[in-house]
Amino acid sequence: MTDATRTIRFTLNGRAVTARIAVYETLVEVLQREFALLGARESCAQGLCGCCTVLVDGTAVSGCLYLAAFADGAELVTVEGLPKDGVLHPVQQAFVDKGAFQCGFCTPGMVLMTKELLEQHPHPTEDQIRHYLSGNLCRCASYPEIVQAVKLAADKVHI
Amino acid sequence: MRSIGQSVPRLEGHAKVTGSVEYIHHLRLPGMLYGKIHRSALAHARIVSIDASAALALDGVHAVITIQDVLSLVPNPYYGPAFHDQPILAHGKVRHVGEPVAVALAVDPHIAEQAADLIHVEYEPLDAVFDEIEAARPDAPIIHDVLKPAGMFTDLKHLGGRSGTNVALDARVRRGDIAKGFAEADRIFEHTFRTGKVIHATFEPMVSLAEKQGDGITIHTASQSPSFVRAEVSRLLGWAENRVRVRTAFLGGGFGAKLYIKLEALVAVCALLTGKPVRIGLSMDEQFYTITKHGATVRIKTGVTDDGRMIAREVETYWNGGAYADIGPRVTQKSGFTAAGPYDIEHVALDNYAVYTNHPPAGALRGFGISQLVWAYERQADIIAREMGIDPLAFRRKNVLREGRPHATGTVVTDMEIDAVLDLLEKRMDWRRPFDRGTGVIRRGRGLAIGLKACISPTTSVATVLLYGDGSCALHCGTVDMGQASDTAMAQIVSEVLGIQTQSIRVVRPDTDVTPYDMATLGSRSTFHMGNAVRAAAEDVLAQVFHIAATSLDTEVSSLECVDAEVVSSRGARMTLREIMLARFAMQAGTIVGTGSFAPHYKKPDPATGQSPDVTPFWMLGGAGAEIEVDTETGRIEVTKLVNVADVGRALNPASVDRQLTGAAIMQVGFTLFEEMVFSDGQVVNASLADYKIPGFLDVPRDISAGYVEVPHRNGPYGAKGVGETGVFSPSPAIANALYDALGVIVHDLPLTPERVLRAIRQAENRPLGDE
Amino acid sequence: MKNFELVEPATIDEAVALLDPDDAGVRAIAGGTALMLMMKARLFEPVRLVSLRRVNGALRGVRENAGGGLTVGAMTTLTELERSPKIAAALPVMSRALHTLSNVRIRNVATLGGHLAHGDPHMDLPPILLTLGARVRAVSRRGERWIDIADLFVGYYQVAVARDELITEIDVPAQPAGVHTWYAKFAALSADDWPSVGVAVWYRTDGERIAEARVAVSAATEMPLRLAGAERALVGNAPTPQTFAAAADVAAEAIEPVADIRGTAAYKREMVRVHTRRALAQALHTGRAAR
Ligand SMILES: Cc1cc2nc3c(=O)[nH]c(=O)nc-3n(C[C@H](O)[C@H](O)[C@H](O)COP(=O)(O)OP(=O)(O)OC[C@H]3O[C@@H](n4cnc5c(N)ncnc54)[C@H](O)[C@@H]3O)c2cc1C
Ligand code: FES
Ligand code: FES
Repeated sequence: MTDATRTIRFTLNGRAVTARIAVYETLVEVLQREFALLGARESCAQGLCGCCTVLVDGTAVSGCLYLAAFADGAELVTVEGLPKDGVLHPVQQAFVDKGAFQCGFCTPGMVLMTKELLEQHPHPTEDQIRHYLSGNLCRCASYPEIVQAVKLAADKVHI
Repeated sequence: MRSIGQSVPRLEGHAKVTGSVEYIHHLRLPGMLYGKIHRSALAHARIVSIDASAALALDGVHAVITIQDVLSLVPNPYYGPAFHDQPILAHGKVRHVGEPVAVALAVDPHIAEQAADLIHVEYEPLDAVFDEIEAARPDAPIIHDVLKPAGMFTDLKHLGGRSGTNVALDARVRRGDIAKGFAEADRIFEHTFRTGKVIHATFEPMVSLAEKQGDGITIHTASQSPSFVRAEVSRLLGWAENRVRVRTAFLGGGFGAKLYIKLEALVAVCALLTGKPVRIGLSMDEQFYTITKHGATVRIKTGVTDDGRMIAREVETYWNGGAYADIGPRVTQKSGFTAAGPYDIEHVALDNYAVYTNHPPAGALRGFGISQLVWAYERQADIIAREMGIDPLAFRRKNVLREGRPHATGTVVTDMEIDAVLDLLEKRMDWRRPFDRGTGVIRRGRGLAIGLKACISPTTSVATVLLYGDGSCALHCGTVDMGQASDTAMAQIVSEVLGIQTQSIRVVRPDTDVTPYDMATLGSRSTFHMGNAVRAAAEDVLAQVFHIAATSLDTEVSSLECVDAEVVSSRGARMTLREIMLARFAMQAGTIVGTGSFAPHYKKPDPATGQSPDVTPFWMLGGAGAEIEVDTETGRIEVTKLVNVADVGRALNPASVDRQLTGAAIMQVGFTLFEEMVFSDGQVVNASLADYKIPGFLDVPRDISAGYVEVPHRNGPYGAKGVGETGVFSPSPAIANALYDALGVIVHDLPLTPERVLRAIRQAENRPLGDE
Repeated sequence: MKNFELVEPATIDEAVALLDPDDAGVRAIAGGTALMLMMKARLFEPVRLVSLRRVNGALRGVRENAGGGLTVGAMTTLTELERSPKIAAALPVMSRALHTLSNVRIRNVATLGGHLAHGDPHMDLPPILLTLGARVRAVSRRGERWIDIADLFVGYYQVAVARDELITEIDVPAQPAGVHTWYAKFAALSADDWPSVGVAVWYRTDGERIAEARVAVSAATEMPLRLAGAERALVGNAPTPQTFAAAADVAAEAIEPVADIRGTAAYKREMVRVHTRRALAQALHTGRAAR
C-alpha cells in the first residue's frame, strides 16, 4: 500500500494553496482542518442536505462525498470567499435582509447554491428556485424566506 | 414602544451568512481525542462479555471505555431528568438497539471509527417488546427491574422502587362524573388514533466535548439545558456544581433533542479517565438511536348531546417512551392533562401511561406530546361534526373553552383568545366560500383544527444585565439560541428598557460559569420566563443608572427617561450612559450589574384527580387550516394551502414569530405526510436522511402563511407568550380533516403516507389493496 | 475510512491495466457519489480506487454517431447531459428525467458510466435507456465489447460489467420520428425522494395502431427490466385509454415487486399499474406535440 498522505495544490477563494491530506479524507474535512473554513459542514453526510456545499471549478458539489484528493488542481470557492473587501455578496445580503435562516446550519450551502442558480437562471421563477434548491434541506424550514431571499438577490445581482 | 413589536434583524445574521457563526460542532481542543461509540446490535440482551483487544491493537487508539471504567469514577452511573434509569454506558444489559456499549478513543476520527467497529460484544438475547400497548401488559418482558424516579419532581416519588412493570408513570385527570356524562349523552363516539415515532434530525448533530481543568471540568456542548447538565454531571461525579462548567454556542437546531443529558456525562467521564480533552460528535444516523419523539396510542371516547355539545370525554393514552424515560414522564403528565382539548367539557377522565419499550428513548420534540393528542381529538371532532350534521367550525365554536371557564384540570382559563383565533382562521381559510371538491382522479378538501398546550410549570429563569465603563451593555442569560432568535428577542427587551440599540447589545453565550441559572430552553417557555427575568434585570440597571443621574443632575428619579443611550430629565438635562458610568466610577471603569429572576406561581395538581387551581403560567393556542389535493389512484396528498394561526399574546418580533409558526408548521407537514421511523426487531430500518425523508422545498405548500392574534398576556413580558411550538399543534388533523372532507375516508394513524391513504380509499370502496 | 491506494491514470489503457479481475477491493471511481456513500457506511473498503477523472477528455461529452444516434462518454456528468442541447432535441424524455434526478450537486459530479455501472435498481435513467435501446461499450485488457442495455442489469446491484472492465461510452440509437416517450417517476415520501416506482414507456404508431412498444420499470423491482407482456398488449392496438389500461394491468401482474419503506409489494404493484397507464397516456400527448 502507498503512503497514506499526499500533497494537493489548488486555488482556494482566489489564493493558491497546498494541503497535506489522507486519500480517504473528504473536502469538508480538509477545508476545516487545514484551512479553518467552517462554512461547509457535514450534516447528513450523504449528499442530501447541502450543508457541505463547496464550489469546485464553478459548480456546486457535496463536500461530504467529494474526495479531497480530487480537488488537486481545481479552483475552490467556499462561502467565506464570497464577501469582497468586507462587503457581503448580494446573495448573502439578501439572506440577511429576508432573515432567510433560523439556526443557520444550512445557510452557507443555500447561499452557494443560490449563487449557482442565479448564474444558470438570472431571473428564476418560483418553480425554478424550488427545483434548483430542492437538494438543499433546512430542518428549521426557512424555505419561504429563502425563496424570498433568492428573488431579492436576483433583482440585486442583475441591476 | 421603541424596540418591542419591531422586526429587528437577527443579531447574528452576518455571522450566519458568512459561515463564521460559532457552533460546538466546530470546536477542536488541543490534544483532544475523538470518541466513537460502539452501539448495541440487539434490542434487549444481557451483556456476556466485551472484547476490546482488536480495537486497542490499532495504531492511534488511546483507550476503549466501558462501564467498568465508568464505575471506577461514578459508582452510581445512572442519569435522567425524571428517572435515574439511563447508564452512562450499558451496564449489564442493553435495552435498545443502538445503546452505547463502549467508546473507542483515538487521535483521529477515522481511527476511532475503525476501532469502534472492532469492539466485540457477546450478548445473551432477552425477549423484547416494542409496542406501547403490549409493553404495558402484566406479562410483557420487563425492561427495568425497578423504577428509579430522579427525586427532582416530588410527584414522582411514589413510584420509587416499584417493580415488575414497564409503566413508568400513570397520570390521571378526573373532573365531574364521567359515567353520568356518558349516561346523559345522546351519542357516544369512540376511536383509537396512533402516531408513529419521528425524530428531530437537527442539522448540527449532537456533539459534546469535555476537558479537565484544575480540579474542575469544562463541558462544551450543543445543549439546550446547560444548567441541567451542570447539576446532573456534578451529581454523578459527587462534585459541587461550581466545579463543573458547561458552556454552549449557537445550536444548529434543537427542537428538544439537545435537552438534559445526552453525550455530556459520557464525554466528561472519558475526559476524566484519560486526562485528555475528548470530543464525541454523532453522525446523523446515530441521532436516530439517541432520542426520538413518542409514538402514541390514543383511545378517545366522547359523549355529545343532540344539539352538538360535548359533555363527556374519556381519553386513554399510551406513550411509547422507549428504553429510557428521559423526560417522557413529564410529557405524559404535562401534555396528558390537555387531552380533552381546548373544549369546555363537564365530565372528563384522562389517563396517561408512560411506557418503557425496547425502542430508542423518546423525549421532548417541539410540542412535547401535544401534537399526538391534537391528532386524536381534532380528528374525532370532525367525525362527530359530520355525523351530527354540523359544520366543523360551528361545532368547535359551540364547544370551546372560553375566558373564565375551568379547564379539565380545574384551572380557570385566562388570557387565551380562542374566539379570535377561530375568527382569524375562518377569514384566512375563506371558510364560507363554496368549495369545489372536484370529481375526477384528483379530489380536493379542506379542514381545520385547533390545539391547546399549557406551558410547563414551575420553572425558573435568572438573567443579568451589565453596563460597562464605556456605557456599552451585555446580557447574560442561559437561553440557548438554536435558531428561534431568542438572542434578538432578549436584546430587544433590554433595548426597550434601557433605550439602547438592540444591535449594540452583546448577548453572551450560555456558560454556567458566567450566565445565571435557567431551567432550559424548551417548551416555548423562554420568551415568557427569561423575557420577564431579562426585563427585571434591565430595569434593575435602569434604577441604578437613574439613581446616579438623579444625583449628578440634581433632580428626581421620577423625572428621568432613557432614550438612545442617554438619560434625559424632564427639564432637558442629559447624560449619556458613558457619562453616568464616569460619574459613578470617576474613570472608564466599573460595572453596573442588574439582576432579575422569574418563576411563576403554581399549584401542584392533586395526584388522584389532576386538579389544580393554577396549573400553568399561560396557555398556548394554535389553529391550522389546510386545503389539499389527493390523488385517488396513488393516495398522494398535496397540501395546497396551509394557514397557521396562534394566540401569541404579543409579538415581540413579528418576523421571528412568523418564522417560528411557519417553520413549525412545515416540520409538522413532514410528520403528517411521510416522516416515520420504521423498525424491524428494534433496528431502525431508515436511520438516515436517505430513507427518513424530511420536507424539502418541493414539499412546502404553495400557499403557506401564519397569522396571529395579539392580546397581551397579563403576566408576559410586554404581554408576550411563547410561540416556538404552537405551529406544530394542528396541521396534522387539519390535513387529515381535509382528506375526510374530500373523500370521507378515515386514516387513524400518522403519517398519512400515500400507501396508507390509498388503502383507506380502497377499503372504503370495498376493493381493498392486498397484503403481499 | 481506512487508507487505500488512489491512482489517477491518464489513459483508458492505463486505467484498465490497474483494475484487477480477482480483487473485489479494486474498483473504478468516477463521480464517486455512489461509491463514497458505500465507503462512508463501511459497506465497501477499497484496496485501490482507479480514478477516471484524468481520462476525462476521452470519455466525456455527447456526440452524434455514425448511425445518427448519440454517443455519450462514460465520464459525462448528469448535469452535462441535462443541459445538452443534443440530448434535449433527440431524447427529451431523458432531459426531463435528469431534471428531477437526485439533486444539482450530485448531478454536477455523478457520471453516466457510474450511474449504469452501480446497478442500483432505484435509478431513473436505466428504465429510460432500456426503452431507448441503448448499448454500452465495455473495455478491458482482453479487448472491448458492446453490451446491450437489456443485458446489462443482471440482479440486485449487479451488472454484466466485469471487475476488470470499464464502461467507456453509451450509444443511444437514433429514435424513429414521432416516437412517443415518457418517464413517470413516483416519489412516495418527500417530493425530492428517490423513486418508489419508475416507469418508462416508448412506442411508435403506424396509422391508427401501435406498431412497436417498449415498457420498462425500475425501483419497484429487483432490477430495472423490460416488460414484454405489457409491450405485446400494446402492439397492434389503437393507443386508447382502454389499450393503455390493459397493458398497465399486464405490467402490474408481470412484476415481482420488492417491498421497502417506500411501499409494500401490493402498493408498488398498484403504482406500477397506475403509472404505466399514466405514462402511456402522457407519451401520446407529448409525442404528438414533438411532431
Ligand atoms: C443524495 C443522492 C441522491 C440520489 N438520488 C437519485 C435519484 O433520485 N435517482 C437516481 O437515478 N439516482 C440517484 N442517485 C444516484 C446517482 O445517480 C449515482 O450516485 C450516480 O449516478 C453514480 O455516479 P458516479 O459517477 O458518482 O459513480 P461512482 O460512485 O463513481 O461509481 C459507482 C459505481 O460504478 C463504478 N463505475 C463508475 N464508473 C465506471 C465506469 N466508467 N466503468 C465501470 N464502472 C464504473 C464504480 O466502480 C462504482 O462501483 C442519488 C445519489 C445520491 C448521492
Ligand atoms: S452533509 Fe453533505 S450533503 Fe449533507
Ligand atoms: S436554518 Fe436551521 S437548518 Fe436551515
